[in-house]
Amino acid sequence: MNEPLLVLDNVTKNYGAIEALKGISFSIGKGEVVALLGDNGAGKSTLVKIIAGGLEPTSGRMLFEGKEFLAKSPAEAKAAGIETVYQDLSLCTNVDVVANFFMGREITRKFLGVPVLDEPAMEQVVKAALASAGTRIPSLRTNVEHLSGGQRQAIELNRFVHFGGKLVLLDEPFAALGVEQTRRGLDMIRQVASQGIGVVIITHIMQQAFQVADRIVVIRQGVVAGDVARNKTSPDAVINMITGETLAGAGPAG
Amino acid sequence: MNPRTRHALEFALDNLVWFMLVFVLVVFSIFIPNYFQLGIFANIVEASSVLGVMSIGLALVIITGHMDLSVESVAALSAMAVGILFCSAGIGLGVQLHPEWLMVPVSLLLALVVGGIIGVINGYLVVKVKMSAFIITLASYIWVRGLVLVISGGRSAQDLAPAIRWFGIQRLLGLPLTAWIAISCFVVFSLIMAKTPFGRHLVMIGGNETATFRAGIRVNRNLVIAFVLAGTIAGLAGWLLAIRTSGATANLGVGLLFNAFAAVVIGGVSLKGGVGTLPGVYAGVLLLSAINTAINLMGLPANFTQVIHGLLVLAAVLLDAFKQTIRQRLA
Repeated sequence: MNEPLLVLDNVTKNYGAIEALKGISFSIGKGEVVALLGDNGAGKSTLVKIIAGGLEPTSGRMLFEGKEFLAKSPAEAKAAGIETVYQDLSLCTNVDVVANFFMGREITRKFLGVPVLDEPAMEQVVKAALASAGTRIPSLRTNVEHLSGGQRQAIELNRFVHFGGKLVLLDEPFAALGVEQTRRGLDMIRQVASQGIGVVIITHIMQQAFQVADRIVVIRQGVVAGDVARNKTSPDAVINMITGETLAGAGPAG
Repeated sequence: MNPRTRHALEFALDNLVWFMLVFVLVVFSIFIPNYFQLGIFANIVEASSVLGVMSIGLALVIITGHMDLSVESVAALSAMAVGILFCSAGIGLGVQLHPEWLMVPVSLLLALVVGGIIGVINGYLVVKVKMSAFIITLASYIWVRGLVLVISGGRSAQDLAPAIRWFGIQRLLGLPLTAWIAISCFVVFSLIMAKTPFGRHLVMIGGNETATFRAGIRVNRNLVIAFVLAGTIAGLAGWLLAIRTSGATANLGVGLLFNAFAAVVIGGVSLKGGVGTLPGVYAGVLLLSAINTAINLMGLPANFTQVIHGLLVLAAVLLDAFKQTIRQRLA
């Protein structure tokens, strides 16, 4: 990681008098997988929302590809090339798999100048994307409400793999997945990173972080409590950073 | 359960209102003398034009997960605006344009713009002030009707210009042009909802607003458009109403909102949003109209209509709950 893709510089977020983020600084390189760890309430999800355009920071700045960056809406973040998979699933259960996969960027063709949904084209893309990821869903035309939690998460994961972008944020993406599906998911992350896409993954499971990440960033009480390369630390050291027993092994912030 | 029975069942559930419509028509045709006539069926379609058009706008907003209670008052205001300008008796100013046909597009545009403006106000308040659409449109329902009373002074306008009236008189294949306008509205908006990204986005916003926002869909913009469409369509309903009654009275269309509501719910639109199709709503409208016609033919006092409509809405809501239980079993 020579070129930083996204740099966070002293980003803070207050909810009234409560300081959720007290000043977060770190960076993500191209093709790098960063695992973001921290206890419940440490501010991980808040941070993800700020990068993804769902929340505006109180202060601080971000550089994306070397340029000042602040997404006022998820649409802006998406336009800049930032994809997000949220912890609580972002699917519309009242429509089918294909509609969810292409949510907000449907393939259309013009009919008398009016954009019309090109269903066969979209169905083909989804079929190919799911097949290459080994996800089996009986019918792409069933509404998502009829699918299992694992199948739903697979749709979201395949969506980011397909659309790619430049930076992917994953907020506990494997919470509802089985063992085999999780392994596939981790493979997917490596595969995405190998294309030069930066990945930030939030997880609670130490083993997953060590399996997939190049670097581990620990957040505790709204500040970066540790920023270390995976091969220079151990699960025990990271747990200590999370709980705050020691700052041993903590690298420089930013 | 094998996939074929499952598909058949889902198809039946999705189109339940059409089966009900056919069932009701068959039963009435058998048991009510003189019901089975082309003229009666044409009358059912004709009588449902205003209600049908209004239901489209209401359904759009409900599918998006919101509510528009103002459609009835908006239609009345549009009708009154057209009535005051182009009626020659009562409070009508009797404005004449040359050539005469020019009055048609001008009056139509006036009705649509009046409706659109109220729609913009509703949409803006819902999106920007983030108040409940129910309350905002309830307020509109009241103040817009008040505006009708104010501009009319409680009096009525009669004798609409013949060039505009022509739409209510001229027939094509046994139906007046006003009915064809309603039918084409259903066709156009059904296509928009089913085939365009905009329609797809409205359905998805009704299903999970947060998800659509995160996916980069401009939710607020779409919501405002939905409210503007509902207002504009209500304006069109008002235009049709003015033609149908050849003028406008201060209490024009009172009670239509509840019928539109009944039609939308019976048509399979879930009040929770995200579920329902416009062809279903049209079937709901026709079902109500078929029952009204039956009540008229049987010579029952017209007051019974309201009781029956109320029971129908109740039945529709129960049916909706029942359908959801079956769907969960299917899943």
